[in-house]
Amino acid sequence: MSEPAVPPRAGDAPTFERALAALDEVVRRLEEGDVGLEEAVVLFEEGQRHLAVCRERLAAAERRIEQLTADELPRDPGAPAEGPPPF
Amino acid sequence: MKTVGSRTVWSLEDVTGAIWRRFEDIPPVWVEAEVQNLRSTGGQTYFTLAGGDLMDASMNRIVFERLPVKPGEGTLVQAYGRVEFWKQRSQVRMRVERMELAGEGLLRAQVEELRRRLGAEGLLAASRKRPPPLLPRRIGLVTSGQGAAKEDFLRALWARFPADVLLIDVPVQGDAAPAAVVRAIRHLDARPDIDVIVVARGGGSLEDLMAFNSEAVCRAVADAATPVVSAVGHERDVTLCDEVADVRVSTPTAAAQAVVEDAAALERGLRAAEEIMARELARARRVAAERLALRTTALGRALRARGARAADRVDAAGRRLAPALARAAGRAPERLAAAEAALTRVARTRAGEAGRRLERSEALLGLLSPERTVARGYAIVRDAATDGVIGVAAAAEPGQALSIQLRDGRLPAVVGS
Repeated sequence: MSEPAVPPRAGDAPTFERALAALDEVVRRLEEGDVGLEEAVVLFEEGQRHLAVCRERLAAAERRIEQLTADELPRDPGAPAEGPPPF
Repeated sequence: MKTVGSRTVWSLEDVTGAIWRRFEDIPPVWVEAEVQNLRSTGGQTYFTLAGGDLMDASMNRIVFERLPVKPGEGTLVQAYGRVEFWKQRSQVRMRVERMELAGEGLLRAQVEELRRRLGAEGLLAASRKRPPPLLPRRIGLVTSGQGAAKEDFLRALWARFPADVLLIDVPVQGDAAPAAVVRAIRHLDARPDIDVIVVARGGGSLEDLMAFNSEAVCRAVADAATPVVSAVGHERDVTLCDEVADVRVSTPTAAAQAVVEDAAALERGLRAAEEIMARELARARRVAAERLALRTTALGRALRARGARAADRVDAAGRRLAPALARAAGRAPERLAAAEAALTRVARTRAGEAGRRLERSEALLGLLSPERTVARGYAIVRDAATDGVIGVAAAAEPGQALSIQLRDGRLPAVVGS
């Protein structure tokens, strides 16, 4: 029942979210404490990459606002000129 | 009543009583009028009902305070009650039992009917609701460009995160509102750069909020592939738009909290992850080093115990061990340096916790120190003459004088032949 009604759009998966989830997974595996040195090194490097992606996203964030009025929007092709009835 | 000469004289109570009895026969009625001169005293709320004429009215204060939409000065209402005559003052007053904003009952019936239909189609089901992304690249905001909702949302949003917003300025009440809101939602939903849509409007009467109870708006929200956060009205105003949306919040400020994470909290989380990774890598290295040391010692001891052939064997083992040691340690140092640099950076950026962390770092370093290792039962073998540490068996000559550092002191020894 938890299947989303609308599938996520291809090609626009949120990078930050994936990197953060991957970072959490790396931290979880490292914290379990039973990884060997080789694996720990690999995980650490992987974690550093995810961390860099997250930091890059945060650093790129910029406060911006653009404003359009409803009248400036392109109308739906085929939609009634007056829009749907209110009720 | 008495008779004085030719005149019949009534007491005032006779007159007021007679009027009072007439009033008793008037059934309760609904009247539509404007509320004026509102005031509450004791357990009653008093006001004047004003049409072309005026009538004093009162309502139980608790009942009045609990009205779903409390009328203010000048509000047009439909009031139900009995018109009473107060004998003591010969005053006429309507005692109001029920009160609704005029036309509201009709609107409520419309909303209920639409809610039933949308519900029957499953559009209100919790299973349809999708969480908004953690950090949207761009937020589509549908609200009035002049409203307080816009200001509240942006203020709360930017206090948390420097987000990018595309605002579609729409009328949020009146006849033009539903079509404009629908067009705005569809436009934002079609744009690939918009990760979440926020529909916001301040509180208002049911009539004011009706655009967000319209079928067209509800269906546009339900059809959107982009998650929609609805912040329409105040706490107790629940519109159908709220119910259809993926996330329903009570205020524009709460909407901001629903669509972006706090930047400072995110940064704290990343620093914590960085710190844990560095710590765990250091731990993995320590464990590996201890295991290696244990095996080297055991191997050397076994080889020495074999007597005559030991020298050859020790040489051979030394040649094999050296590259093995180099391999084990070889990959790690530069990564370890990175981990340690990360730890240092973390320690620096958290001035407040620096003291505690430093103590912990010292405790970790202490665990790694030779003294602590010896205290745990290991030994350090030194050349008795130079006091240099002998790390590999191959470095020891038969007959060489040694000094073995143990937990409680040094033990002189000689390498067997």
